[in-house]
Amino acid sequence: MKSLLKHLSPFAPDQSGAVSALFEFGGLIAICDAGGCTGNICGFDEPRWFTRRSAIFSAGLRDMDAILGRDDRLVAKLKAAMDGSGLAFSAIIGTPVPAIIATDFKALKRMAEKQTGLPSITVATTGTRHYDVGASDAWLELFKTFTTERRPVESGTVGVLGASPLDFPTLDAGNLLSAALEKEGWKTVNCYGMGAGLDAVKNASAVEKNIVVSPAGLAAAKYLKMAFGTPYEVRCPWLPKHVLAALPSLAVKKTLVIHQQFAANAVRDAILKRNENSNVTVASWFMMEPEFMREDDFRIDSEEAFIEAITNGGYDEVVCDSRLRAALPRDCSFNIIDFPHFAVSGRLLDEVK
Amino acid sequence: MNQAYSISAAELAARGKDDIPPELLSSAHLIYSSPATLAFNSPGAQGFGVKRAGLAVPGSVMLLVAPACCGRNTAALGCEAALSERFFYLMQDDTDIVTGRHLSRIPEAVKQVCDSCVKRPSAVMICITCVDALLGTDMERVCRKASDYAGVPVVPCYMYALTREGRLPPMVSVRRSVYSLLQPREKVPTSMNILGFFSPLRDDSELYPMLKSAGIHTIREISRCADFAEYQAMAEANFNLVLNQEARHAAADLRKRLGIPSVELARLYRTDKIANQYRLLGQAVGAEFDDAPYREKAEQAIENFRTKHGRRTFAVGEWLNADPFELALALIGNGFSVSEIFGTVGGSNFVYVKKIAALSPDTKIYSNLSPTMMFYDGKLSACDTVIGRDAMYYHPGLPGVPWNEERQPFGYAGVTALFAALADALSGKESAR
Repeated sequence: MKSLLKHLSPFAPDQSGAVSALFEFGGLIAICDAGGCTGNICGFDEPRWFTRRSAIFSAGLRDMDAILGRDDRLVAKLKAAMDGSGLAFSAIIGTPVPAIIATDFKALKRMAEKQTGLPSITVATTGTRHYDVGASDAWLELFKTFTTERRPVESGTVGVLGASPLDFPTLDAGNLLSAALEKEGWKTVNCYGMGAGLDAVKNASAVEKNIVVSPAGLAAAKYLKMAFGTPYEVRCPWLPKHVLAALPSLAVKKTLVIHQQFAANAVRDAILKRNENSNVTVASWFMMEPEFMREDDFRIDSEEAFIEAITNGGYDEVVCDSRLRAALPRDCSFNIIDFPHFAVSGRLLDEVK
Repeated sequence: MNQAYSISAAELAARGKDDIPPELLSSAHLIYSSPATLAFNSPGAQGFGVKRAGLAVPGSVMLLVAPACCGRNTAALGCEAALSERFFYLMQDDTDIVTGRHLSRIPEAVKQVCDSCVKRPSAVMICITCVDALLGTDMERVCRKASDYAGVPVVPCYMYALTREGRLPPMVSVRRSVYSLLQPREKVPTSMNILGFFSPLRDDSELYPMLKSAGIHTIREISRCADFAEYQAMAEANFNLVLNQEARHAAADLRKRLGIPSVELARLYRTDKIANQYRLLGQAVGAEFDDAPYREKAEQAIENFRTKHGRRTFAVGEWLNADPFELALALIGNGFSVSEIFGTVGGSNFVYVKKIAALSPDTKIYSNLSPTMMFYDGKLSACDTVIGRDAMYYHPGLPGVPWNEERQPFGYAGVTALFAALADALSGKESAR
């Protein structure tokens, strides 16, 4: 049964991805739920929430709100919270409840903008999809809303799209990605959402190039290319040290890398750089963009499929979040190199043993 | 809006319980989400939400039937509580939600879950969420079908956050669910149950020796039941002692189904009121309790604390094992000050607000859930000691105790332990209590 999880627990959902993408931009984030989704997002999927004050709210929907579709009350509450707060915009994030009652998010956006006099972003997430889908939608909406002017290109400036703790298991990912790009010679690195804020988004048409570090950032990169001609490149310039340290042994073995696609691809590229004949396959539970897949790469769509693929694949080494081990038979012969994926396990790098 | 809203106890009492300002009413505004609100803003985010509570039945497992988002934090719960092997998930997709086809998969999923367990579960608790609340799913019927198919008791647990302020909120409903597997048995006059919590009372609670002195030899709590057989023996109880009003509905169900009457006590921190309760309990069960030694010990703990640490000024939160207003009133009554309370004012605790207003009119009352709490500034507070995990979040530099341990404090032993923990905190020791 594809939808049954007997060993693993569900991964970060789309609504968490949307909140993660918007977390650092100084807006009011209202999650259109009864309270439970907000608790899950903040308490489990957003590690930054514990380290700083943020403006995340639950709409506090009750049964009659859902039955009667009282969007006007939601917008009135949103306005009251925004008034005098100094927040730059509002964002309304969907959950299963508005999905079921078919909330019109476009109408909500218009109502919120009219009432607050400030930009509003709505993301029609449903809680049934993975985090990267919600993050992708949120990134796209963010840039569509705020990157409105074509500005002169600033030489030596690069944008980083798709970075979040859900994709990179460290709160320092913004600095680490930026440092790696600065080392390559870029003078200014705008790592959107992990270091670079709303002003950088408004100025996004001025960057020389965008680097897309996770599939969640790809739609926004394509939009910026279409709207402003900004080229983009898909690659991940930073990997954890302990993964890099394992490359010599991986280069001579049959290896499976499971992570978000672009980070997994980066591990493969690093292995192939050492030995171009290495046998490396990439898989992901999340988005797999066809144009960046190789022939044997695959998407994992169920726990059963994961067990089947990994136990019968003949791999010597598997680079993945070690929490996935819970689904595997105890007598598996391959070695696991732990590359935490926060969207899978809620673990950061400092939890690697 | 650029500062946290608060109202003095005097002003709130003067307005009355029918004129509570909207800033203190969660239905009147967006609900602020901060680490201070995590335990009660979501019925399953931390502590004993519906998911962990549903597993209170010994040997049971839980199948969460919901979109993936509803099960996400369960990984953390399992990790913390070594429960991970008891959680299973049947994830709903968009088509399931539109067509309800997931319901037909539940019997087979229950069977597969049972087959995958090393030891056959005593029961499968099916946890469903807002989705099925809105779909109007008849989960009782689905559970009967699954039970017939898999040959195991299957019980619904309703994690309906949408109904949190309704007649049957999730934490009330789940208490009924976990006792629903009890079947009628012959009553044993010397046996009783304690209902209300999903973890045991502190071992040093005076309730145990006092009840035993009244001839009650067997006291059962669901969290102390070693196995399903012991759990089933709860049906022989002569009466249920309800220590949390959220268990009132479960007690009423047990009275109706099994003929077990119940007596209800509240968790209090005012020793004179605790004494009153025990006197009334004694009258109800036909015994006279000698609670004097326990009361003396509790009052001595307060006196010792006051002597050593003086008349401290407290901030009292609501993420703790107490009603924050009753606890604040107890502190004020014992000669301490309470500068602020983070709490949810309602009909049941407004009586404490009025008493606080009479003794400490300037005590400020905040709502954790108000959007204005984004701007709370602890530097403006006069408190020097904090109680409650949420209050500790607002005042990270001050000594205090979270007082939200899973072992439940109650009665005099709770008072004694609280002041001992506070004394430890003020002495710079990490509380081990």
